[in-house]
Amino acid sequence: MAREQTKSTLGGRLREFFFAEQSPYGMALVRMFLPSVAMIPMVRRFPHVRELFSSEGTPQPLFELFGQTNPFPLLSPPLAASLYGLMMFGMLCVVLGWRTRLSLCVAVPLYIYFNLLDSVGTMTKYTVIASHILLLLTLSNCGAVWSVDALLKKRTLGQNATAIPPVFPVWPARLTQFLFCFIYFGAAITKIQTESFFTGEQMRYWMLSNWNYSNPVGEQMAMWTPLLLAGAYFTVVWEIVFAFLVWRPGSRLIMLGLGAFFHFMTWLTLGLYIFPLICLSGYLSYVTESDIVRIRRLIRRVKLPTKWLAYPRELVVRAVEARPASVPVLASYLVVAALSAVSAAEVEYRLDAYGLLANNGPLPLKTVDSQVALAMIRDKTPVREKDKYFSFEIGKHLLGGQLADRCSEYEFGDVVVAQCNLNPPHEDLWVECLLQDEQKRTFEQSGQFVTRDMLYANFYYHFGNALVPGKYFVVLRSSGKEIYRRTLYLRGDPASVPEMNEMMTN
Amino acid sequence: MRVRRILSGLFIASYLCWLSWGIGAHVMKVGLSGNTLGYYVVWDMFCGWQAYDNRIHILAEGISGQFYEVRAPWGEFTPFGNVARVHYDVTNQLIPKQIHHVLKNSSHEPIDRVYVVQEIWPKQYNIPQELWARYSEEPMDKMSYFNLRAICSDRGNLLNSYPDWYAAQTLKAVADNPRLQMTANKATPFYDTFIKPNRGQETRTSEFVSTSSGQLSTN
Repeated sequence: MAREQTKSTLGGRLREFFFAEQSPYGMALVRMFLPSVAMIPMVRRFPHVRELFSSEGTPQPLFELFGQTNPFPLLSPPLAASLYGLMMFGMLCVVLGWRTRLSLCVAVPLYIYFNLLDSVGTMTKYTVIASHILLLLTLSNCGAVWSVDALLKKRTLGQNATAIPPVFPVWPARLTQFLFCFIYFGAAITKIQTESFFTGEQMRYWMLSNWNYSNPVGEQMAMWTPLLLAGAYFTVVWEIVFAFLVWRPGSRLIMLGLGAFFHFMTWLTLGLYIFPLICLSGYLSYVTESDIVRIRRLIRRVKLPTKWLAYPRELVVRAVEARPASVPVLASYLVVAALSAVSAAEVEYRLDAYGLLANNGPLPLKTVDSQVALAMIRDKTPVREKDKYFSFEIGKHLLGGQLADRCSEYEFGDVVVAQCNLNPPHEDLWVECLLQDEQKRTFEQSGQFVTRDMLYANFYYHFGNALVPGKYFVVLRSSGKEIYRRTLYLRGDPASVPEMNEMMTN
Repeated sequence: MRVRRILSGLFIASYLCWLSWGIGAHVMKVGLSGNTLGYYVVWDMFCGWQAYDNRIHILAEGISGQFYEVRAPWGEFTPFGNVARVHYDVTNQLIPKQIHHVLKNSSHEPIDRVYVVQEIWPKQYNIPQELWARYSEEPMDKMSYFNLRAICSDRGNLLNSYPDWYAAQTLKAVADNPRLQMTANKATPFYDTFIKPNRGQETRTSEFVSTSSGQLSTN
């Protein structure tokens, strides 16, 4: 009775929420996946340690970007490479769960340190998310299950070992879950504050920016702005409700499923690789004890072989146990750590980052033709009229102000919607739209002011019975110059629509 | 056990407060300027993209008049795709270091000056050729615009800087208005460095203020 009363009070519910004891399976999964993903970009940067993170390169500390003094020392290349090697060793040990907490204590500060040193090419929001989760892993008991540590402990206990997994307070997992709620809520606020996000233009320009990896699907989608517009609303709504619905058992899987879909789409449309993987690794913190029981049952039912998953940690356990009996486990860990650091320094030196060793001196700079160089330096070309326009399309329907379809075949009575999209920044423009026949005779001409804040303008033509079936052109003109020309075919019987007043334009 | 729980509780509260502060500061746009740690709690992953793509070209002019491309001859690092690291330097803090670093570690004649040039082109030309052909009746006619951004010494020290292309275009768009230009010309702002109003108030007159050395004071 007293226990029920405690549970019903706010404090009791909070205690239950943060300090309920569970086996840390979720955090163990995060421990295995997140450092593996976070290490992919870091391994790629290893040959460039000298350039990115040492005193003999061009580190760009984040603190300097914020106008503050960088509190961290810039180390010499051998020392930087050694610490980098130590960080990679630490992360590998975290994945395997060998001396998990010690490894996290070594690897996490180094990971944060190296990221803070290169704000231009290393530090991103995904490294920030990874840093948060790695910090929470350090405070958790993520190494208590599915780890070398757990196996070693089991072997030490021998027959006294129990099959019941250890339990710990669940708060590190809860904070990781909260982190995602904050991330999505903050991201939604950013989008709400971003101009032209809800008309799709921002997403379109992002998809056409080749700043990430290849994104052919994104390039296709960029041509369909209404799709981006719908995606923008869906994303913001999901990001806001995530924080409220992910806790409810009925909607948890839906929210996480939508999240997985969202991150999958960022890979497909924006060419992001590491960011979605980091977030999906973090989602594993939502896995509970009961989820694991269900998954295990399912695996047993479908007879999925899972024994091989334990091979890497068993291999490490065997290697650890092969050490001389007089050498403590910690000593063997420290020896391997030291070896990793020294090897990293040696490998980095042999990689010859600046090509000084292989060429017996510095490499020559590439020359540039003087005419080309001076043309670049002295270029004062004003923006061409056509470069002020992103596109010009004709269709029949609008969705959220954007052209929803592209169409070149019309019938009498149809309305042509001609839409031009503009590239900001542009000055106030007078834009004209013309309807011409095959002989380029203009039947109708209309214009409108497109002020500097506008990103698109629409023109409408109603096909009355004044025209005859045939081929026509819709022409976009700006500053008296023809910019785009779109072909359309008018089909059908002019008599099918009521006769138009002669005062009307067509 | 109790101490551990209290410490855990304190950590939970501090951590959630920190995350909440990040959201509040981001919404209200306060407390983030000059605050590096704020970067860890502000989630502005999508903060806007421009209609034009850009790259940075660094050109060094030797004393003979020969031009060199200031690019790492040992190979550039491309952090997130196939674009070199220096192009991600939106705040232009890396470029001076990069100039000094590349020139220091490469062979070349003595360098007279280094030009930093922006290359700009509209993003519609990033569309693959076949996609362009599907949606456009006109041939793809990509043209890059170049904008001199800065002139530096061979050590990367800034000698002269020029407006950013985007800022220049925006200013041009605003200035392209005769009425606005006339009003602006009539109301040229100035800051008086000769007359000190509080001195005038005391003596009920305005007067020029000079320092003991006879030079006019700026305040």
